[in-house]
Amino acid sequence: MFDAEKFIEKSIAKLAKEIKGKALIAFSGGVDSTVCATLVNKAIGDRLLTVHVDTGYMRKNESLNVKKLMKQLGLNYRLIDASKEFYNSLKDVEDPEIKRKIIGERFIRLFEKAADEENIEYLVQGTIAPDWIESGDNLRDTIKSHHNVGGLPEEMKVKLIEPLRDLYKDEVRKVARALKLPVSERQPFPGPGLAIRIIGEATPERTEVVREACYIVENEIENAVEKKLMEKPWQYFAILIPIKTVGVHGDQRAYGYTIAIRAVQSIDAMTCAYSNIPHSVLDNISTKITNVLGKKINRIVYDVTNKPPSTVEWE
Amino acid sequence: MVRIYVIDNGGQWTHREWRTLRDIDVDTKIVPNTSSLNEIVKDNIDGLVLSGGAPRIGLSSKLGNCAEYLEKADFPILGICAGHQFMARFFGGEVKISKIPEFGKIELTLFNEDDPLFEGVPRESIVWESHNDEVSVLPKEFELLAESESCKIQAMRHKEKPFYGLQFHPEVEHTEYGEQIFKNFVNICII
Repeated sequence: MFDAEKFIEKSIAKLAKEIKGKALIAFSGGVDSTVCATLVNKAIGDRLLTVHVDTGYMRKNESLNVKKLMKQLGLNYRLIDASKEFYNSLKDVEDPEIKRKIIGERFIRLFEKAADEENIEYLVQGTIAPDWIESGDNLRDTIKSHHNVGGLPEEMKVKLIEPLRDLYKDEVRKVARALKLPVSERQPFPGPGLAIRIIGEATPERTEVVREACYIVENEIENAVEKKLMEKPWQYFAILIPIKTVGVHGDQRAYGYTIAIRAVQSIDAMTCAYSNIPHSVLDNISTKITNVLGKKINRIVYDVTNKPPSTVEWE
Repeated sequence: MVRIYVIDNGGQWTHREWRTLRDIDVDTKIVPNTSSLNEIVKDNIDGLVLSGGAPRIGLSSKLGNCAEYLEKADFPILGICAGHQFMARFFGGEVKISKIPEFGKIELTLFNEDDPLFEGVPRESIVWESHNDEVSVLPKEFELLAESESCKIQAMRHKEKPFYGLQFHPEVEHTEYGEQIFKNFVNICII
């Protein structure tokens, strides 16, 4: 079986040897990048610059919490607010693959700029096995371009280091637990963020809607898990479907968008079964979302497909 | 330590096959399907897994160097999905586009519960699928081991050689007895 302690020891030694000068890590605050940053920090200390980008497509309060985490871990960090830039570059973009590629490219350019300013030669990413498997190569079909793999531009000025490349999520969590990191049980969140949880154009207005809906789904499901009403899903969130349907609000006709709830069980996201959420919990989520987002949302649906045939995220 | 390599035919779950073998203490490695048999056997392997892949075996007849492995190997081979379909085609069976492609959860029914590959697996169990093509005619030298409602050839074995083909995916987490099937294959490789 996978031995986390041994992996930590080996990785730190390898990274210390491999990274000659300064390195930069793309930090989302999720399990993968937090484990990566901790390992590299242990190997080369302050020669590691941790960069977090607020893309505007983050979850509620996320970048604030990430800042706290970087401080808590004693990292040498920088926070870049690029939300306007990201919103602008996704204007009128509807195709999910183009969204992912634009976001991937934007990320890299921002990191390159920071790397240039600080004479950094290495870029560290928390890529894990399913990321590069799904991103495709000469042999494999592209299912989705993960922003940290397939989204990479062909020409890059920095050298790429991916310490978690051969691990699966459950193994990364084991490493996180061994390192006593507070994020070890956090659910995965895709690099392109809420942009791929909005079907069609990811406008700032739609982003606000799906951000609130995701927040409600997360809260309600976490409460239900705490009360032992259900098993903790691998991932749980909301998707905005910009299709209008008719509703009735206080004797008046309403005409708003739809929110889909997605929750799945898995150990590594290679296959997933949709979660068995009790109806009472679905009911709470539905009522809350339609109350809070009343004017914009008047219909809630639950996604009951497994992977395969579908994937976890909708785009 | 028993050594079983995974031939990569470009499947989404090739890495899972590698991982399942690694988790049951097998010395394993992912090898591209362009490797020659000589390159592989010089490592003294005890068995081979042929992964699935995007190539439509129902539509094209080549799968890297898999033909060479099947022709010359004197060790056990487990073909999965496209690997299984290619094995059937290589030995004279037929592969065609599935009338009803299967994705995700399916009930598997065994015909021969005594086969060493299915030791400890009940007659009916849940397996996960992901295929557009399927074996439509079993090769003469093969025995049929399992079926599902929409796909009649889910598992097969060569009558004389230790070659197995599976349409479903034993390597994924949601296949109920997947790890057991891999353990059984390891046992077949040790004999």
